[in-house]
Amino acid sequence: MPHDVVTPSGTAPIVELRGASRHYGPVVALSEVDFACHAGEIHAVLGENGAGKSTLMKLVAGVVQPEPGEVRVDGHPVRLSSPRVALEHGIVCMFQELSLAPDLSVRDNVLLGARSTGLGFFSYRRMHDVRALLDRIGGESIRLTARVRDLTLPDRQLVEIVKALYREPRLLILDEATSALNASVVERVFTLLRERRDAGLGVLFISHRFHEVEALADRISVFRNGRHVETFDNGRYDYGDIIQRMVGQSIDELFPPKASVDEVPGEVVLAVDGLTWNGRLHDLCFNVRAGDIIGIGGLDGQGQITLLQALFGVLRRVDGAVKIGERVLAPENPRIAKQSSTGLALVPEDRKTEGLIPHLSIAANLELAQLGHDGPGDADFEALAAELELKCASFAQPAAALSGGNQQKVALMKWLALSPRCLLLADPTRGIDVRTKTQIYALLRRLASQGVAVVLLSTDHEELVHLCDRVHVFYDGRIVSTLAGEELTSEAVVSASLDSGAAA
Amino acid sequence: MRIDIDALVPWVGSLVVVLLGSLVFPNFLSLDYLLTQAQIASFLGVLAAGAMVVILLGHIDLSVPWTLGWAAIVSTTLVGTGHPVLEAIAIPAALCTGAIIGVVNGIGVAVFRIPSMVWTLAVNAMLLGTSVLFTGGFNPRGEASPLMRALASGDKLGLPNALWVWLMLSVALVWLLRRTAFGRYLVAIGLSEKATWLSGVGTPRIVFGAFIVAGLCSALGGVLLAGYANQAYQSMGDPYLMPVIAAVVIGGTSILGGRGSYLGTVGGALFITLLTSVLSVMQFGEAWRQIIFGGIIILMLLVQNFRRGVQA
Repeated sequence: MPHDVVTPSGTAPIVELRGASRHYGPVVALSEVDFACHAGEIHAVLGENGAGKSTLMKLVAGVVQPEPGEVRVDGHPVRLSSPRVALEHGIVCMFQELSLAPDLSVRDNVLLGARSTGLGFFSYRRMHDVRALLDRIGGESIRLTARVRDLTLPDRQLVEIVKALYREPRLLILDEATSALNASVVERVFTLLRERRDAGLGVLFISHRFHEVEALADRISVFRNGRHVETFDNGRYDYGDIIQRMVGQSIDELFPPKASVDEVPGEVVLAVDGLTWNGRLHDLCFNVRAGDIIGIGGLDGQGQITLLQALFGVLRRVDGAVKIGERVLAPENPRIAKQSSTGLALVPEDRKTEGLIPHLSIAANLELAQLGHDGPGDADFEALAAELELKCASFAQPAAALSGGNQQKVALMKWLALSPRCLLLADPTRGIDVRTKTQIYALLRRLASQGVAVVLLSTDHEELVHLCDRVHVFYDGRIVSTLAGEELTSEAVVSASLDSGAAA
Repeated sequence: MRIDIDALVPWVGSLVVVLLGSLVFPNFLSLDYLLTQAQIASFLGVLAAGAMVVILLGHIDLSVPWTLGWAAIVSTTLVGTGHPVLEAIAIPAALCTGAIIGVVNGIGVAVFRIPSMVWTLAVNAMLLGTSVLFTGGFNPRGEASPLMRALASGDKLGLPNALWVWLMLSVALVWLLRRTAFGRYLVAIGLSEKATWLSGVGTPRIVFGAFIVAGLCSALGGVLLAGYANQAYQSMGDPYLMPVIAAVVIGGTSILGGRGSYLGTVGGALFITLLTSVLSVMQFGEAWRQIIFGGIIILMLLVQNFRRGVQA
């Protein structure tokens, strides 16, 4: 257990969390976490999307406060009410989202808010220090007077790192700090970090690139579903064991049984051949048959959403053949995509701004897709509501009054009214309670058995493994791995997502 | 049917204005006076009906003044030729002018995606310019046809014809807003264009439709005003822009789109007409009239804001 972690130096950890929890509305991001990070160690945090890593970082960096729970710095309880307060304790965070001011020069960005710059008299010595730091980590070509806006993404990341280091932190938090850097630059950054560690710097390190974690970390903490699973020294477990800890046990009773293997495969409903868009999607090829539930997985933002948008006609100038229904081209807009000759439906990612109009009544939301549609007339919304156990006083209620899970049911129902041939779903169970998830899973399986082709984008690996018949794992707009049958395990999905990251 | 409380505010306001006015001038409660006000409110109401459709969408049409100006110029010029056929098509031609201007507005907003506030303002300026080119800067020659004069000033069954026109337009508009897919899309787009588009709605065509309806209403207003004055004149629409938008907003329609009821817009047009009339009868100077007018409108909007704040 985390309590009996032996302090390497024998002193109190720089930062320690005790029983720290954090909720966002009904969603539990972190739950009773005990965690400590010491001086002179590089501590990696591993976990799937939504495991609570980012929330943990925000707690330590003073962006959010634990409710309830305690933060200790050097053994004393403190309240890190803002990043400024955290900085006073020597905690500096470099976040995933870049925090540079685009219109300021590199020099100004680095010196902005750094310690002891006071009223901002920039001395020649400081400029020299910044230059030296940049040169050390491979930023020789970056001019100090260049505007950040004009730099490439990797260069900006280097400036971020320099900016963070220049503040002379005692604890440095790196959240995907090296995601845009190539291997040789990463190695130089790591060398510098190791040097600083030996001088007593503590580093909290998040990366999806597993090989980076292996190369850099002294200790590793694994998080899952907002809980701290285990902390151990790097090298104690092998790759498979660590993945096992990240993914956890499967929950079989959540998912309906898959279609049996001996069933005759249905006809191809959606055939995608060479789909390419604007440098974000590259030559995607796959088929979806009637009765299939196809999973789309991978790390966040690798083109999964873009694929669904391209199929549904949200994007312009999509290249490649998309054969669906009587059409050979990708639809030009959602209006064409939903016509019964095409038969597509998309349940978008964000139900509050895309899937529904919260201010409108449930009834008005339900009819929005159906109005002006050329397909079969009135769907039996009452029966659907009963099957999904939609909890509402009446259809005249505004959708905003429903809970997240029930809103998602409405967002689904409005499309089911059109009897689509192919249903595209963008992470339909994100932030939804387990019971509603189960209902949605059962519905999807029933639809599939009735011959609907389902494409399910999910950030939940359990879902991909236990609900889907086949899973395409994305990285950088490409399908890097296709898993089915026996190969389709959580470990395989995670490892495919991460390994492709390593290869890039 | 649920009645929006916001929509009742201008009706109550109208009642208060009339009652307060009658304390000073008992004449205010006479049928004659009220019918005259109803006739004048009809001009504003017809214009506000079109403006409301666009505002529901989350856009705004600032080309109202010169759309109505051009409709008046087209109709009176055609009548002025003295040719019976041209005289007969004067009103349809004016409406067509309005529809064409609506299409131009729709192109800017739906196709080029220029903010409507800027695009329609530019269109208004260009309409002004072209009318000066066309008339040489003088009041256009020509006159209203007997039909136009009758529509604006005559009466039937004891009610002014202008009021009948407004009523019929209102029935048509309520049907459009409540009973057609167009009306529901309008509200949905006003609340969330993104979600509506992702529901497979051809949102550009709805935007076009809304601006065409607005252009038609502005043109109809222009025809009525030309009939009322028996001529078209430069800048005849300029005094109407702010009252039109004020009527819609006082009626409880959100300037951000998506929320509002037509009943409120009707009340708003009545309220603004009565307020203007009372202020002018009370013989304040023009300066004070403007200040009081503006102040009362701000007050009503604050009352609505406050009421919504309490609700939320």
